[in-house]
Amino acid sequence: MPAIVVEGLERAFGEVLAVQGIDLQVDEGEIYGFLGPNGAGKTTTVRMLTTLLLPTGGSASVAGHDVVAEARQVRSTIGVALQEAALDPLMTGRELIRLQATLQGLPPARGRERADGLLERVGLSHAADRRVGTYSGGMQRRLDLAAALVHEPRVLFLDEPTTGLDPVSRKTIWEEVRALNDEGTTVFLTTQYLEEADQLADNVGIIDSGLIVAEGTPEALKEEVGNPHVELLVGEGAVAEAERVCAALGKLLPPKDGKRVLLEVANGAADVPRVVRALDEAGIVVESLELVRPSLDDVFVAKTGHHLEKEESAGGDEEPVGA
Amino acid sequence: MEATTAMRTSPPAWRANLATIAALMARAKNELIRVPGAAIPGVLAPTIFFLGLNGVFGALTQLQGFETGSYESFIVPVSMLQGAGFTGAAAGVNLARDYEGGWVDRLLVSPAPRWVLLTGGVLAASLRSLVPATFVLGIAFLLGAQWPGLDGLVVCYLMVAATAAVAACWGSMLALRYKSQSAAPLMQAGMMALVLFTPAYAPTELLQPWLEKVAEINPMTQVLEAARQGFVGDVTWADTWPGLVAIAGLLAVLGALALREMRRTNV
Amino acid sequence: MSDLASTARVVRALGARSIRQTFRRPQLISPIVVFPTLLLAVQTGGASAGVELPGFPPVQSFLQFMLAGAMMQSMMLAGNSGGIAFAVDIEMGFTDRLFAAPIPRFAIVLGRLAGTAALGLFASIWFLVIGLVFGAEIEGGVPGALLAMALVTASALAVGGIGAAIALRSGSASVVQGLFPLVLVVLFLSSAFFPQELMIEPAKTIAEYNPLSFIVEGVREPIIAGIDATHTLEAVAAILGIVVLGLVLSARALRHRLRVG
Repeated sequence: MPAIVVEGLERAFGEVLAVQGIDLQVDEGEIYGFLGPNGAGKTTTVRMLTTLLLPTGGSASVAGHDVVAEARQVRSTIGVALQEAALDPLMTGRELIRLQATLQGLPPARGRERADGLLERVGLSHAADRRVGTYSGGMQRRLDLAAALVHEPRVLFLDEPTTGLDPVSRKTIWEEVRALNDEGTTVFLTTQYLEEADQLADNVGIIDSGLIVAEGTPEALKEEVGNPHVELLVGEGAVAEAERVCAALGKLLPPKDGKRVLLEVANGAADVPRVVRALDEAGIVVESLELVRPSLDDVFVAKTGHHLEKEESAGGDEEPVGA
Repeated sequence: MEATTAMRTSPPAWRANLATIAALMARAKNELIRVPGAAIPGVLAPTIFFLGLNGVFGALTQLQGFETGSYESFIVPVSMLQGAGFTGAAAGVNLARDYEGGWVDRLLVSPAPRWVLLTGGVLAASLRSLVPATFVLGIAFLLGAQWPGLDGLVVCYLMVAATAAVAACWGSMLALRYKSQSAAPLMQAGMMALVLFTPAYAPTELLQPWLEKVAEINPMTQVLEAARQGFVGDVTWADTWPGLVAIAGLLAVLGALALREMRRTNV
Repeated sequence: MSDLASTARVVRALGARSIRQTFRRPQLISPIVVFPTLLLAVQTGGASAGVELPGFPPVQSFLQFMLAGAMMQSMMLAGNSGGIAFAVDIEMGFTDRLFAAPIPRFAIVLGRLAGTAALGLFASIWFLVIGLVFGAEIEGGVPGALLAMALVTASALAVGGIGAAIALRSGSASVVQGLFPLVLVVLFLSSAFFPQELMIEPAKTIAEYNPLSFIVEGVREPIIAGIDATHTLEAVAAILGIVVLGLVLSARALRHRLRVG
């Protein structure tokens, strides 16, 4: 049974259609990466799937329960770590996890046991009795993740879990997400980082302006937009000769500068020895060679006509979230 | 339907609900205990009003129609109810703050029934209101307010705690509707009006006709009269039951409205 | 453009900003309008029988007597709100942007005070209109109303100076917000709500020397009796005293802020 099924899901805020009738399916045990720039509709979608926002059209079910008609069953099944890492600075980490256990209806003894285990798991045992207000950003995200796991949810929603974190904290969260997934938890992860989706997700949905513009495994999506290419740096004066040799091997791509030759290779790494041999036979010295695969950004550009990460650095528009 | 691990090991629903209410009350307690000086504004405001009104309007007891010559005794239940109104409305402000910070989402995505989530905050406000009430009462006794008798004191405290619950429902309703602390003045002003558009400053017959009419239909008048009876005379059932009915009605209406807003947060 | 003209422009722009800021934030406007109006209604409706007490000055109605008190309350809270908004600006770094601009430093404080004074003027008009609508007469006529408005505006400027000084010194909105109860204490310990002679000790004695009592009587006299030189001069003297205090405190706080950064 699929863990999440979304059909024609829509959400309007007045005149603005934040999510414009999306379809998607997430299989049990999968990590689904929901990729898009700020304001694309990611958070609105997550809020609908987690019962925090009513859809204005279409339907969605999580773990077999409709998010509108069976909201309570959905809530029992899911774990949620939302963008703001909503934590009470006056509580200690341990108190917070225990409160979450109570909210999820766990008996007190089980709540205590889970709190100890989860704090250990996310590396916060040493800080368990400190107030959350004294935690660093990375520690707060890990605590938020632990709270989301207290009732062993079947489906875990993580809304931009690493936004604003330093690279080390980001890697820690990634490792934890992978480990959870290995234990069988389905993960629905929104992100605006290409690398995050590429590293973690089994399947990726790309959303832009409220519409899903592409969906599939990261590999399949990248293949869809084109073949990999080799980027050759050759000695000065050898560029023209190298281009002549390479032209016989495949399609030359428009050069970036006067020093490099870009050659598309249909078979990827398997074509590299052939290229090196041909250049060697022609007496051309290769200073460096790099096999470049299409990135998810290339996919994004191909589907939307603009870059994802450039928009992110520009800040983008905030997405309405129902307030 | 496939049961989740959590559902399989769950305690009975009533026990889980009680545990959740207790846990939310414990969290609310942090505001008072872990923030240095947090209790001061809640205590200070009704105390200043009590001392101020007493100093300014104390001479009113010379007028015919006052049941008591002690304005401290007459005004202290008003200040206690006002303190309860402030405290309850503050629970609404805190809820709005929690909404802005995303904390309320944490509560809303849990499977706990919505009324349970609301009750935690409301009961915490009720208990918390006893702090300013007791402080103001202590000062009033020092200034010579009449001892209301044990029965009068119990009725007064009951009305104070219930008024705080009413105010918390009112504040929570606005917090959940506007999802912003900008609604705070409305929460405070609403409760101030409810408590003061009564025979707060003088007996009904000394009020201006328009206020007399407003006070007549304001259910808080019955609540104030019940809370005040021991301080200005004897405690009687005739003066108590209308207060009980009025406060129960206010609680039922505002509680239902707050719950309705809580159920509508995902709209 | 001359320096003076450019400074005046800065003061006007900052004053306009502070007025807009107040009207756009319910937390700032409601203490100035909603709460004093509510209290005026409650006190007028509840304590109006007080006019029958022996010693109460001759008035047309208790509402007429209370108007000056409501204006004082509104004016004091406008000063407090102005201080809070100024402290928020400091917390958010907005004043750093202003301090870094090539404008005289005092113009920044004056701009904030101009906004507070305008709110004082607004409060006086608001309560005069309420009084007139509900039947209170202004015995001093138009000149009396203008005098009351001028005194309330000037006292808003004076009280705002103290609020700004505390905001500059502390740089914390919660510290200025914490003065709110103090504002109430000063009000209750003045003749804002009842004749001083009829108040209960010790409030009665304190009210006799409270500068706010002099201002409130200066505003009240043209409303309940007519313009009177003694009351007016006493009110002006009290306002000047507060202005000097506010100026000294503001200048010191400004120097402190620029020194500590």
